[in-house]
Amino acid sequence: MGITRRQGLLGALSFATPAVLPVMANARQNGTTLRHITGNTVNTLDPTMLGATHESFGVSMNVYDRLVTFGRKQSGSIWTFDPDVITGELAERYEISDDGCTITLHLRPDATWHDGTPVTVDDVKWSLDRGVSARSLTAPQFSSGSLTSTEQFRVAGARTIEILLPRPDRLALANLAMPYAIMINSRLARRHATPDDPWAQQWMQQNTAAGGAYRVERFTPGVNIILTRNDAWGARSSGTSPFFERVISQTVPEATTRASLIERGDADIVIDLEAYDVIAMTARRRVRINSVFQSNCFTHLAFDTQSPPFDNVKVRRAVASALPYQDMFTASLFGRGHPLFDADWREVPPDISFPQALPLATDLKLARRLLAEAGFPDGFATTFSYATSQATTAEPMAALIQEALKRIGIQVDIRKLPDAEFNTLEAEKRLPFYTDTAAGWIQRTYYFFYLYFTRNQRWNFSSWRSPEMVELTGTARFETDRARYEDACRKMIALLADQVPLIMLWQPNMDAVTSPDIDGFTYQFHRQIDFRNLRRV
Amino acid sequence: MMQTFRRRIGARALASLPALLGVIVFTFILMRVLPGDPAVYFASGPNAGQAEIDGLRHKMGLDRPMPIQLAHYVAGIVTGDLGNSLTTGQPVMHDIRARLPASLELTLTALGLSLLLSLPLGIVSAWYANSRWDQCIRTLCTICFCIPPFVSAIFLIYVFYYIFGLVPDPTGRINIFTPLPHDITGFLLVDFLLTGDPAGWREAAGQLLLPAVTMALFVLSPLTRMTRASLLTVMNSDFIRTARAMGLPTWRIVTVYALRNALSPILTTVGIVFSTMLGANVLVEKVFSWPGVASYALDALVASDYAPVQGFILLMAILFIMVNLLVDILQGLVDPRVSME
Repeated sequence: MGITRRQGLLGALSFATPAVLPVMANARQNGTTLRHITGNTVNTLDPTMLGATHESFGVSMNVYDRLVTFGRKQSGSIWTFDPDVITGELAERYEISDDGCTITLHLRPDATWHDGTPVTVDDVKWSLDRGVSARSLTAPQFSSGSLTSTEQFRVAGARTIEILLPRPDRLALANLAMPYAIMINSRLARRHATPDDPWAQQWMQQNTAAGGAYRVERFTPGVNIILTRNDAWGARSSGTSPFFERVISQTVPEATTRASLIERGDADIVIDLEAYDVIAMTARRRVRINSVFQSNCFTHLAFDTQSPPFDNVKVRRAVASALPYQDMFTASLFGRGHPLFDADWREVPPDISFPQALPLATDLKLARRLLAEAGFPDGFATTFSYATSQATTAEPMAALIQEALKRIGIQVDIRKLPDAEFNTLEAEKRLPFYTDTAAGWIQRTYYFFYLYFTRNQRWNFSSWRSPEMVELTGTARFETDRARYEDACRKMIALLADQVPLIMLWQPNMDAVTSPDIDGFTYQFHRQIDFRNLRRV
Repeated sequence: MMQTFRRRIGARALASLPALLGVIVFTFILMRVLPGDPAVYFASGPNAGQAEIDGLRHKMGLDRPMPIQLAHYVAGIVTGDLGNSLTTGQPVMHDIRARLPASLELTLTALGLSLLLSLPLGIVSAWYANSRWDQCIRTLCTICFCIPPFVSAIFLIYVFYYIFGLVPDPTGRINIFTPLPHDITGFLLVDFLLTGDPAGWREAAGQLLLPAVTMALFVLSPLTRMTRASLLTVMNSDFIRTARAMGLPTWRIVTVYALRNALSPILTTVGIVFSTMLGANVLVEKVFSWPGVASYALDALVASDYAPVQGFILLMAILFIMVNLLVDILQGLVDPRVSME
């Protein structure tokens, strides 16, 4: 039995038919539309909602105004936010009283909401009241700046609002620049408030009552969000209009697909690519790579300082002396970041910047001796955990840690956990030894220590309870004398280096990959894209 | 006739209710037994402390005892409320309604493509059993079956999009710059036809091509092998020998006599393949940013977001029951000896 030529050809033809379906060329975007792709999703238009994703914060920065904003500075060809400069956004200017207890903000005279109605001081008061009253992410953030009650916000004129502080809290003003401190069109929002929901939280998840640089044109949760420029925003006095008329932010879950899209020129900007894709792209030079180390972010190894064996400072010091820092840095980040180890200072840090490199170095002999002194001459067994989403960086790191600690007798069992499980165990403080990455929005030395090294709360990664640290942060918070504040900060850094409740490893780079004609990318404290700064050249 | 038919369908639907209830209870418990607390996952913003976690838990009703949670959930299902998704911030019912057409369109197209390929291949393979052609087809099937769909997806994207630029960018059902048709059925190809927009139709078809081919290749093997095996059995029977002996043309023997008699096991396989594809699409949906139900459920699972996962499994159970019912009905039509009882 065989097949004749004719039958064969007919067969081949019938197989080919489905392949002749319509195929079309790409409709490329250009000009004044920006296409942003991301692996994550925007899940709410109200960034203060419990459970809001980081992308939701990013969108709200472009859609809403806050009273004040951080400045931006250029180092080399890279723009970053300036944590030390705070300027007006919806406020035109502000003054702080001599005792530091009153902040007076003057609103822009010609600011309007997206519906065209003017911004009033009552809107601002309502927005701030909502921040401290509603059950949202705002209240705990505001409390770090001593903003806790509605009585602290006082209307002091047609365009003036006063913020009264019980003590001169050094973080009060910076808190007003956070994504949680959005200014809301209160008349519009109140129309959608109900007795159960007096702050219109339900309605604002899917709708906006904003006045920022962009309006939301279309929002499909989990798929995309499309923004259009609000021309009134740029037209107000001393305002500058954003370049892009339209911004499309689209969810593309697969990192490889994102890499292809940006290299083909079908997307304009992406900030969440895998490091190996970025390295390959650097060689091909088809895209522009803005690589900036995330100054307010740090990757760390945390110990459970409340249970043995890591409650013993000598054990922690031993581990810190056994790690091959440089190899870990190369293996997990390909060196793309800013190391926080190998500093050459002892006892007193050179300045109060934080996170800064600490005097951590590999010294196996010292490690073995410390371990013996701690009562573990033969080592012990423990686990090292990381979340699946961090596997690309944490996996090689974990292997190196396992190998290095084996040399001093510590048996490490590596555990890769699904994110939800990892987060739960981390919050419940049930991980003896693990890695994670954290980012503080307000880049002040005191704030980092207060947030990450005090109190029994989730972000105290190593559950550290040091009375000395509590006292230092307590004084630093309200200290108005600069020298005394700096002295306290130096002591905090020295205490951390001495007690090693947590090993600070490095600050990973953010690789913002853009098409070659996109300019003005600025690294922001919230680690999302500020579309207002971008332009096409 | 028609009435008994309807009654039988009704009886089948009733009989599947206990199974559905079992699925609901089982997934409900399973999700809560799995490690990972959705409240902790979502209250992970900077400064979100224990108070926020508790707040979220209360909002989600997770602070109540489990039997009460289950009762609320079942009561919700009866009224068409599957709870809310934290991942998208939407009611699960709304999400599934928006995403199911995307998954169905992709799966049906892939199944269609696959049948278009596998039926002729299976026929050739069976008719010329153990010939060179048969060997080639069997090798092709083995290769297609061995390559995981996400590998072939990435490969196809690399070749047809990244290198040659023949297909539009693999980001969802339609180019983001194209206005969507008025939502009639949710199936873009149908909606574009109904609204009379050939340009839109071509574009949607272009977007659909690669993911559909990826999935079609994956299920090519079971369908071809089943066609071949089933046809082989039929072709050794007396009536085919008679037909051949009488000198009927080959195409007539195959399509009219052999295939019709071989169709029954193929239909069963198609039913199984279809149900599997709907759920197993996750990776293809992920790679092509396809806004379907499978990738939706995966995202929710990673985040321990209970409601969407439960909703998805319930949906799959319902679909599975419906597909089985449909296959049974078709079986009856294809072969009158098979009745629904």
